Amino acid sequence: MTTLLYTHPACLEHNTGFGHPECPARLTAILNVLKTSPFAALEWRDAPQATDEQLTRIHPLTYVERIFARIPRHGHYAIDGDTIVSPQSSEAARRAAGAVCAAVEAILNGEANNAFCAIRPPGHHAEPHQAMGFCLFGNAAIGAAHARTAGGLERVAIIDFDVHHGNGTQAALEHDPGYLYISTHQAHIYPGTGRRDERGAGNIVNIPLIANSGTADLRHVWQQDIEPALREFQPQLILISAGFDAHYLDPLAELNFNEDDYAWLTRQILAVAQDCCEGRVVSILEGGYNLPALAASVAAHVKALMEVHRAAQRSLIKSILERQKAKRNT
Amino acid sequence: MYEFLQYQVRDAMTADPIAISPKVKLREVEALFESHDFNGVPIVDDQGCLLGILTKFDLLKAFSFDAHALIPHYDEIMEQTAENIMTHDPVSVEPHLPLSRLLQKLVEMRTKSLPVVENHRLVGIIAREDVLKALRRAAIQHEIPAHEEPQP
Repeated sequence: MTTLLYTHPACLEHNTGFGHPECPARLTAILNVLKTSPFAALEWRDAPQATDEQLTRIHPLTYVERIFARIPRHGHYAIDGDTIVSPQSSEAARRAAGAVCAAVEAILNGEANNAFCAIRPPGHHAEPHQAMGFCLFGNAAIGAAHARTAGGLERVAIIDFDVHHGNGTQAALEHDPGYLYISTHQAHIYPGTGRRDERGAGNIVNIPLIANSGTADLRHVWQQDIEPALREFQPQLILISAGFDAHYLDPLAELNFNEDDYAWLTRQILAVAQDCCEGRVVSILEGGYNLPALAASVAAHVKALMEVHRAAQRSLIKSILERQKAKRNT
Repeated sequence: MYEFLQYQVRDAMTADPIAISPKVKLREVEALFESHDFNGVPIVDDQGCLLGILTKFDLLKAFSFDAHALIPHYDEIMEQTAENIMTHDPVSVEPHLPLSRLLQKLVEMRTKSLPVVENHRLVGIIAREDVLKALRRAAIQHEIPAHEEPQP
């Protein structure tokens, strides 16, 4: 069983205007690296469009209709100063959320252990009633709700390591203890939420980091906060809001993670997933605005997702060989 | 403004800046400050590797009261060399640092400029004025109209 990769060409057609940091070239850079030989074992799948039923598990229908009504026939429309849509944004947004729902279904069906959704627009800032911060629909929250409702799970965890707090995901899930939302983010930057004392129904774990936090701080908060909270919750599925803008070369913030940190964090999450939920993980692209750093970080993340299978295969082969050997000896 | 996010330090810095050796006397350093509008000057070795920074504040500090003399002696102090009063191993940045991050650094450190170093060698100086100029340049490039009407 390999890692699944959900994406769609429509996600490249969501145009945010000249020079906008959340640009199609982000996804092109990612897909180009995932097409290289080290990633040949990835199973590429087209992201389907999310249905209204899937979107309205998080957003009211009136909101969904309002967003689609604002998509222009040509040119751009600015929902706010930074959140800009173009004619293809409807399909891209539906496929971004649809990718996560399809990935969740595939993982719950046992078609693979984990999946990465290379999609845009991102989602974690979109609140149930408010598009913002480059986000239209809460892709991760929609996927989590899909796992609960359609997949029948009781406990779904989301780990969000984007450098910005996922105010949208938090707003959507904070009243339901069947979800656990854990976020690491830089303190005092956009969107201004994510304080430690925002705890929802006891199901929100916010870990603000001061500017210039890096490798050692990430390892510290993993041991101190993230892993204990995850293990106590015993998730049946883990979603990752995978933003890569905490990288030390990213222009939008001031944390200092590197590619190895992302690989390390991914392996830690997978180890918990192995113990709690047979390794079931769905990772979803959020931010990351330095193109080479983004591509390298996604490569490290996806490579770590794929390594799990190699390790599992190796141990399977080893156990078969041992059984054969034992048979011969009897 | 989006354009600004694309800039790196190398796009806005003063390349190959004036730098002095650690043996230069403070009298000459002061003359340099007089003749140029510098707040500080980088100190480099023969290979161009950054050793320190000497600012006007460091010059003032040389005259502040200390345990050595009741009253500071002007000529004596001005005969000292740069290496005596410079800040050793100063904070520096690399040319590929996003300019947005450099801006944050200047604000947080309340410093006027920082040396730019690549493989230990001084390659530039980046100052507040350079960042302001880059912001201005970015602001006049291809801005999106703020609110185009949606097409019905």
